[in-house]
Amino acid sequence: MSATSEGIKTATAPQAEPALPRLSPRLVAALRRHYLAAFVSVAGGLAFWELISRYVVANALFLAAPSQIAIAIYKLARSGQLWHHISVSSAEFALGYVIACVLGIALGLAMASSATVKQALQPWVSGLYATPTIALAPLFILWFGIGIWSKVIVVITLVLFPVTINTEAGLRTTSERLIEMLRSFGATRWQIFVKLSLPSAVPFILAGLKLGIGRGLIGVVVAELFGSRAGLGNLISQSADAFNMPDLFAGVVVLAFAGIVLTAGFGWLEGRLVPWTRD
Amino acid sequence: MAKLAISRLNKSFGDLEALRSIDLSVERGEFIALVGPSGCGKTTFLRIVAGLEAATSGEVLLDGRAVKKPGGDRGFVFQNDNLLPWRSVFANAMIGREISGQAGAAERQHTMKLLKLVGLEGFEHYYPRQLSGGMRQRVNLARALAIDPEILLMDEPFSALDAQTREIMQTELLRIWEEGRKTVLFVTHQIDEAVFLSDRVLVFARRPGRVQAELKIPLPRPRALTLKRTPEFVALVDRIWRMIEDDVRAAALYENA
Ligand SMILES: Nc1ncnc2c1ncn2[C@@H]1O[C@H](COP(=O)(O)OP(=O)(O)OP(=O)(O)O)[C@@H](O)[C@H]1O
Ligand SMILES: [Mg+2]
Repeated sequence: MSATSEGIKTATAPQAEPALPRLSPRLVAALRRHYLAAFVSVAGGLAFWELISRYVVANALFLAAPSQIAIAIYKLARSGQLWHHISVSSAEFALGYVIACVLGIALGLAMASSATVKQALQPWVSGLYATPTIALAPLFILWFGIGIWSKVIVVITLVLFPVTINTEAGLRTTSERLIEMLRSFGATRWQIFVKLSLPSAVPFILAGLKLGIGRGLIGVVVAELFGSRAGLGNLISQSADAFNMPDLFAGVVVLAFAGIVLTAGFGWLEGRLVPWTRD
Repeated sequence: MAKLAISRLNKSFGDLEALRSIDLSVERGEFIALVGPSGCGKTTFLRIVAGLEAATSGEVLLDGRAVKKPGGDRGFVFQNDNLLPWRSVFANAMIGREISGQAGAAERQHTMKLLKLVGLEGFEHYYPRQLSGGMRQRVNLARALAIDPEILLMDEPFSALDAQTREIMQTELLRIWEEGRKTVLFVTHQIDEAVFLSDRVLVFARRPGRVQAELKIPLPRPRALTLKRTPEFVALVDRIWRMIEDDVRAAALYENA
């Protein structure tokens, strides 16, 4: 799990990329130094890890060396097992994530457009957002079985609320000055909503969706740990039961990689969709 | 008939008397400047004429019809440009037309012509974040002109600009105004700006907000920046300054207290 959150942190760095050409040479040099340090740090960390697991904790039951993990990933990929686990986890994540996003945006819209709806839903949304609903995963597995649907539900409960909250907040914080500008041209409430509230909420909604990626990935894996037939969480728990450290770490690395790629892809999408928020 | 006729206009916010008994008659094509200390109700006055705020009592007639809500016959130019960051210069300038549901080819062409008129030719596809403050105010002006309003309401449109840009924008505004001779109500804190631009300066006083004096500006048009160094100009600025000096001082003291 910690590997996943680390991955998300480093993945925010490439977002600065598109701004590079406009920066002064001095800043570019500074960034290069920054990336160089990151590279050296990661490479050094891996080397250190390799040495520790070869010569200090030379026990394959406790720790796998990066080289062993790489080999494990290669073998799992060759045998086709890795793709199977990835495809199951991906399906669970994608289904839950998309459903939660659509539902969350709809709920956010409803809450922003009606005070009554907001009053009715606010306690649920705030309460469930603050609750670590991941703890309910065993319950969902009991109710919905060890197939993919219990995981989809877990992902939904984790992704839905940040998306709802951000959508509602984004729609609520429409600039008064801009509302007045549109009103001066005789805009109706609906026109203000479509031409102003909605577009100005997009950065907030995207931030909610981004938050959902990390939470959704955690949801998939943890739910799979509690009971599943396949998936990366399943690979991890099976490997742990068999004291197969290289396979266990292989699962973790693939997850970290997925987190990094998804978050970085999202950063890129943000740059395209809402470029005005970049500075 | 006067283009704009305002009679016995009052506005209160609770106990605060923001405007008391304003009477004003503006001819078609007249350029009116409003000056006065902070808090004397200039913005409130413009907002009432725009239909963004309801008067407590009194009447605003535009071409003989009572103003109740915003409409396409009035274009508002805001102090902070209020551009939509996700819209290009052109799309920002078109917003008024879009709202009134008239965004056809003729209107688009007209907007392109206006952008050229305000000096933004070639920048139509730029986004607000790529523009300087002066350019943003040009878009703000083009957006108001694009609905082809009967009257332009301008609330300190140049106050956020540096001194040089501001002077350039003043001459640009006059050049644009000469093209169409719209009726203009222009709020400013700078007396020399008021004198330079307008045919008539209204001096507001505060507590309650009211028209304290008004002064015709008989300077010939078209006007160039060199006008600002003539004795006639300086004398007019001086007269208005003396009219509001005491009030401004009181306002400054009050706000610092
Ligand atoms: N919506 C409102 N509610 C309550 N009071 C208001 C409101 N709008 C304005 N006022 C008050 O009315 C008075 C006039 O405000 P207004 O903004 O019209 O002044 P102004 O002349 O434009 O000042 P400035 O030169 O600083 O822009 C002020 O005392 C202000 O506090
Ligand atoms: Mg004001």
